Amino acid sequence: MRAVLSSEWLKIRSVRSTYLILCLGLSTVLIGLTIALAAAGTYDAVSPEQQAGARIADLEEVLIVVPQLCMGILGILVITSEYATGLIRTSLALVPRRWPVLMAKATVVGALSLLVGALAVFGTYLVAGSVLGERFSGAYTAAFEDRLPLLITLTLTVPTFALLGLGLGALLRSAAAATAIVVGLVYVIPIIINNVPEPWSERLGSLMISALPRQITGDLITTSVYGSLLPPPVAAAVMVGYAFIPLVIATWLIRQKDA
Amino acid sequence: MVRRAGDPPPRILYHVIELHHLTKRYGSTVAVDDLSFRVEPGHVTGFLGPNGAGKSTTMRLTLDLDAPTSGQALVNGRRYSALRQPMREVGALLDADAVHSGRNAYDHLLCLGRTNGIGVRRVTELLEQVGLAGVARKRVGGFSLGMKQRLGIAAALLGDPGVLMFDEPVNGLDPDGVRWIRDLMRSLAAEGRTVLLSSHLMSEMALTAERIVIVGRGKLIAEATVSELTTHYPSLEDAYMALTTGSVQYGAAR
Repeated sequence: MRAVLSSEWLKIRSVRSTYLILCLGLSTVLIGLTIALAAAGTYDAVSPEQQAGARIADLEEVLIVVPQLCMGILGILVITSEYATGLIRTSLALVPRRWPVLMAKATVVGALSLLVGALAVFGTYLVAGSVLGERFSGAYTAAFEDRLPLLITLTLTVPTFALLGLGLGALLRSAAAATAIVVGLVYVIPIIINNVPEPWSERLGSLMISALPRQITGDLITTSVYGSLLPPPVAAAVMVGYAFIPLVIATWLIRQKDA
Repeated sequence: MVRRAGDPPPRILYHVIELHHLTKRYGSTVAVDDLSFRVEPGHVTGFLGPNGAGKSTTMRLTLDLDAPTSGQALVNGRRYSALRQPMREVGALLDADAVHSGRNAYDHLLCLGRTNGIGVRRVTELLEQVGLAGVARKRVGGFSLGMKQRLGIAAALLGDPGVLMFDEPVNGLDPDGVRWIRDLMRSLAAEGRTVLLSSHLMSEMALTAERIVIVGRGKLIAEATVSELTTHYPSLEDAYMALTTGSVQYGAAR
């Protein structure tokens, strides 16, 4: 397994697309800085009465889709690029048990996306906090310990997307199809579910990936466009399911199917 | 590699590919049909047949990339999937284009080698041997088909295996490269390795191979030495044409 791991680590390090994706994922912090500066400027320009009513969303939560989608796509590419070229046949021939190939990819992509997720989430939080200070009724002056659970949970959604992408990529063997599903889970399906009659809109909405972090930490907000019906352990289990169910099915299938 | 008298007996006995009633169906298509033959060490075995005859499928089945419908392919007496470090026993070039175009030649070989505990020194050695040392750090997307064939051959040789399979390695090579492959194949066989080589270039095959296996529609048509075939027919090409008449077919129309 260590041999396969070192091979997969070199594979991901030796193509330029990886670095491009990592940069895009980390650009979250810059985007957060830009928004925070703009928000601070707007805030400072209005009357004290307007300032008192001004609110700002948590930037690290709003921007989490950037590292989520970037690392989801990295997960997709590390497997579908091999199917596209036929390199997968060589990879599987060199490791006849096959499953270590997928597990090594999962380890490498999972670790990288955990790092990118942490840098993006905590970086955005720190940058936005230092720019905004006491503005917006002290949105960014709440005690760090109180924010920590949500920041950690948001960070963990990034490897969730990476593993989801890897699993879907391995199952579908197509970057386009897997990307459509990952993007669909973030943008398309929630919109459809939002238009489903109640109570199903809220029931299904609670299962959406983007709805999970606040259900896991219990920091529910009334303005959520999703549902919030799940108790924290169930929400956590659903997130684990997103990360691992496609991957486990893919690992089982890669041993059975013709390569 | 010269073996002197008194050297321990070589591993030669174990370098062998055996197909036992190998059959592969894809739906109603029979790609390989009850195919049995042995590929022995010490000489190049040419693997001939029209397009769609099942040559590539046979090689994939031997590497356990596809699962046979029935029968089995054995390498050195064992199923390929039972090998823990397969690169050290079997090397194969199935498709020279099966490379990530963004990765350089050196990293490509090292990625493959590392899975079987093969490192930098052997990779550098092989790049030198196949004549790619000068472009080792160039991305393979810019390689010609001939250069990719050389890269694929280097990959097959990484583990210094006793059994080698090459699917159409001559495609895309310049005359220099064609001669290089011919000499390489013959010297690999002379070292006591088992070499299975598929090609459509009859004149080239006549110069390179000593034994010939001809398949058509997934079935074994002939298994003979090149000299046997050329005594009965004017040339290997005439032998091939005569033997494969009626076996030329594309796709699955049966």
